[in-house]
Amino acid sequence: MVQDMALLVQYVVVGLAVGSLYALVALGIVLLYRTSRILNFAHGDLATFGTFIAFALLTAWRWPFAAASLGSLLTTAVVGAAFFFLVIRPAKESTLLGKIVITLGLALVLQGATVILWGTGTKILPFPLSDIKVYRLGQVVVSQISVGSFAVGLALMGALYVLVQHTRVGLAMRAVSQDTVAAQVLGIPVKQIFALTWGLASALGAAAGILLAPATLLDPYMMLDPFLKGFAAAVLGGIDSMPGAAVGGLLLGVLEALFGGYVSVKFKTTLAFLIIIAVLVVRPEGLLGREYKRRV
Amino acid sequence: MELRQRYEEDLTLVRGVLGWSALLALLAFLALLPVLAPGYFLYTASLVAVHVVIAVGLNLLVGYTGQISLGHAGFVAVGAYAAGVLATRLHVPWPGAMLGGGIAAAFFGFLVGIPALRLTGPYLTIATLGFGIAVNQVLTNWEQLSGGRTGLFLPKLAIAGVRLRDHHIYYLFAGLAAALVWIATNLVRSHVGRAFVAIRDSDIAAEVMGVNLTVYKTLAFAVSAFYAGIGGAMLAYLLGYLEPQLFTLFESIYYFSMIVIGGLGTIPGSILGAILLTILPQQLAGLKQYLPLVYGATIVLVMAVEPLGIYGRWLRIKLWFKTWPF
Amino acid sequence: MRLARIGVILSLLVLAATATVAQPQERGVTDTEIVIGSSQPLSGPAAFWGQGVGGGMDAYLKVINDQGGINGRKIRLILRDDGYLPPRAVANVRELVERERVFAIVSLIGSANTFAVRDYVIENQLLWITPTADANMWAGFKDKKYLFVAYPGYVDEGRILTVYGARQMGAKSVAVFYQNDLYGQKGLVGVKRGVAEARIKLATAVSYEVTDRDVSAHALKLRQSGADTVILYALPTAGALIVREMAKIGYTPKLLSSFTLADPIMFQLAGEAWNGVTLTAFFPVPGTDAKVDAMLETLIKTNPQLRASPFNALAGVAFLEPFVEALRRTGPNVTKDGVVRAFESLRNWDGEVIRGVTFGANRRQGINRIYIVRSEGGQYKKLTDWIEYPVGF
Repeated sequence: MVQDMALLVQYVVVGLAVGSLYALVALGIVLLYRTSRILNFAHGDLATFGTFIAFALLTAWRWPFAAASLGSLLTTAVVGAAFFFLVIRPAKESTLLGKIVITLGLALVLQGATVILWGTGTKILPFPLSDIKVYRLGQVVVSQISVGSFAVGLALMGALYVLVQHTRVGLAMRAVSQDTVAAQVLGIPVKQIFALTWGLASALGAAAGILLAPATLLDPYMMLDPFLKGFAAAVLGGIDSMPGAAVGGLLLGVLEALFGGYVSVKFKTTLAFLIIIAVLVVRPEGLLGREYKRRV
Repeated sequence: MELRQRYEEDLTLVRGVLGWSALLALLAFLALLPVLAPGYFLYTASLVAVHVVIAVGLNLLVGYTGQISLGHAGFVAVGAYAAGVLATRLHVPWPGAMLGGGIAAAFFGFLVGIPALRLTGPYLTIATLGFGIAVNQVLTNWEQLSGGRTGLFLPKLAIAGVRLRDHHIYYLFAGLAAALVWIATNLVRSHVGRAFVAIRDSDIAAEVMGVNLTVYKTLAFAVSAFYAGIGGAMLAYLLGYLEPQLFTLFESIYYFSMIVIGGLGTIPGSILGAILLTILPQQLAGLKQYLPLVYGATIVLVMAVEPLGIYGRWLRIKLWFKTWPF
Repeated sequence: MRLARIGVILSLLVLAATATVAQPQERGVTDTEIVIGSSQPLSGPAAFWGQGVGGGMDAYLKVINDQGGINGRKIRLILRDDGYLPPRAVANVRELVERERVFAIVSLIGSANTFAVRDYVIENQLLWITPTADANMWAGFKDKKYLFVAYPGYVDEGRILTVYGARQMGAKSVAVFYQNDLYGQKGLVGVKRGVAEARIKLATAVSYEVTDRDVSAHALKLRQSGADTVILYALPTAGALIVREMAKIGYTPKLLSSFTLADPIMFQLAGEAWNGVTLTAFFPVPGTDAKVDAMLETLIKTNPQLRASPFNALAGVAFLEPFVEALRRTGPNVTKDGVVRAFESLRNWDGEVIRGVTFGANRRQGINRIYIVRSEGGQYKKLTDWIEYPVGF
């Protein structure tokens, strides 16, 4: 009985650790969607690209970890913003679905560039925390890296929340997301806000990638699955809600771990998606999303 | 600019000497392709026909009805495996197996259409995407049904015991694709097509105008899935072999890209997109690891230059000539 | 006058006849080169595999061509990317044969792609060298005159590995962590046979998908099964992830593994957790054999990128070596049937990488033996001599 309890708690702990990373990925997707209504399918590949930048800074340039992470976040942000200025803005005539396909094209380009620059081999990202070193609470085991990335993930989410809800820039971002034209009329530099959002979302992706890499190893395709789960988590929580993204990510992580553990490892993704569909049928706007109102 | 005076004139698909000669030239080209092109290209041409069927069906759903599907590979898989199981276990001849594939997929399309009644945008995207993943995992792990990762071998296409060669398959597939395109073209001009477009432009307004959303949304899913299922069955026979990894999220994204690049809400656009995205990676296969880079850049370029897709560009060119010299 | 004209015409006819008789030019063979083709996953999630194997083959041929080629002909390899997708593999192979007119198809990775092109290759009687998929699939398959496979069967491998674990290492209860495709499933079949043969227990079998990046639940399941031994049928990334994950939750069973993890890269990826692992090998693992090490060094000198995937690059060489030797034995007059005869003359032939290759009039399975190695302190150590299994085809 005690052992069963311990196992249950262990699954939940494992799920939370993974879920916090899903949540980070989801946050980047939500942030961009709120502002620009674009579902960014290049988010995963931007994140991978950023992680490889960190890898290059750490190994080839021998920067300290903090500096390398910062460098990676900044570079990825610049790439994201550049993408907005160079492609998305000039293509402003295109439909929303057209923009989705543009991001798909970008995903291929980034993936190709990553492969050409760093090869397809699996790599280790040097990380200050160890994943072999574990903490034990009774029979429940938590690795140092899980605790660390969970904490960093929460901190990043908190910082983002403060930025969006309690700063002038955040106010501008929210204004643009509610009504772009009105925001422009009121003198908000919409173009810069869009670029900032692209940069911020991309940097968040890179942060997620750097936190994921020690647990998943680093290769050009590492974000395929996490991106998908992050996207699903964002929708589960409500695609326009940032707290929703966090809740959705953690929930999806735990759900998957429990399903994998107690029902079937083979079908865990299917079951997770069935749950999401069931939730959406009851709440079409996601768990914490705003109710969908339209003018006809 | 000609003046249309009667309703029948407006209904005509092909107009004037120019229209007829263009159509005949196209048909002649398609008919002569086996003489002009070598066998390996006929295989690619047959694959194009498969993708045309799938893309036209997907465009009925996304382009005309405005319902996003990122799980279309799921419908294609259902069609392919239904045809495969019918052909191998029940020894149904290929026309029956193909039709069975289409009907099975249409049934699943109807099922997916039900939750889709309440969902839009990203939410619908995830729901359909989840369907695609579920189909893939079920096919992978339910080995008694699908053969799992060992795969399923289909009998060769044959008519009256005579096995079809490359050019026969090409003619068969081109004919099937042409027939399905013709049906789709007429469907979108009928009251059903108008209901689809009304739902796309505003579902609430459409409902107020008397379009039954439940019927038409599920119908759009079922028809689109039927096309996908037929396409899947064609693919199954073309390859002669099925494996669940043929039908992943990447394929769904690939089909989706075809219609957006070709032109949303247009039948010729779906065809152009299917042709481009089938032949492009094949021609780039010698680029090796540079393939994704060039391929992705091409997609970005096409979409950035022409937001309405390739067909949109064609319309603009046509308009320019029509209005010339103004 | 008239006679002279007839004479000229006759002699011209004779000349033409002899010219056509003397030069039945084989497809893909010219006076200066032999063209061969391969379709590999060079992009997409399986690219690691294709780039290693494809890169290894390419580098190996470059070395051979720099030494003057085979009997005065250079070998040109045309590599095409299939992204690990069967429809594209079919199109690639057809284009290689019908447009590029290659002499032979080499390798092709993955059982799905192999199955998809199989009928075409067999019907058109193409020379096909070592498709990289479970060799057991060819047992009982007819019409394989032009097929030559020097690759192990996963079922035999799994059986031998399991029996070794039971008899030599005292395994009582085994759990299997396997990739959910034909590779892992055939391995699991082999393990089951080994379990029956050694009369031990199969505690559980946990599968993963190639795209899975979170194997924590898998590790917990393995631990719950209480097995004293875990057998891995995985590719390097997932293999490294699962052993790290097991170490993380304090589960330390004996580890056995298929040859796919006999890659030196595992020492970097899995770190300390990759110690004392018992594996199979179908060619000498780098670090245990001077010739293999020398070959690896040459390959890396030719293409430095191969440093990242030493095992796959060597596997690429292993696939080509018997073919190159057969070409050498065929002599200057290269025909398809001549190469087949040369292949059939290989008896326990040792290459630089692949060893003990034997083909024959009715034998298309080139190798039927593996041996066991163990990882110790960042190195692989040979534990047994070759262990043979029955020839299946």
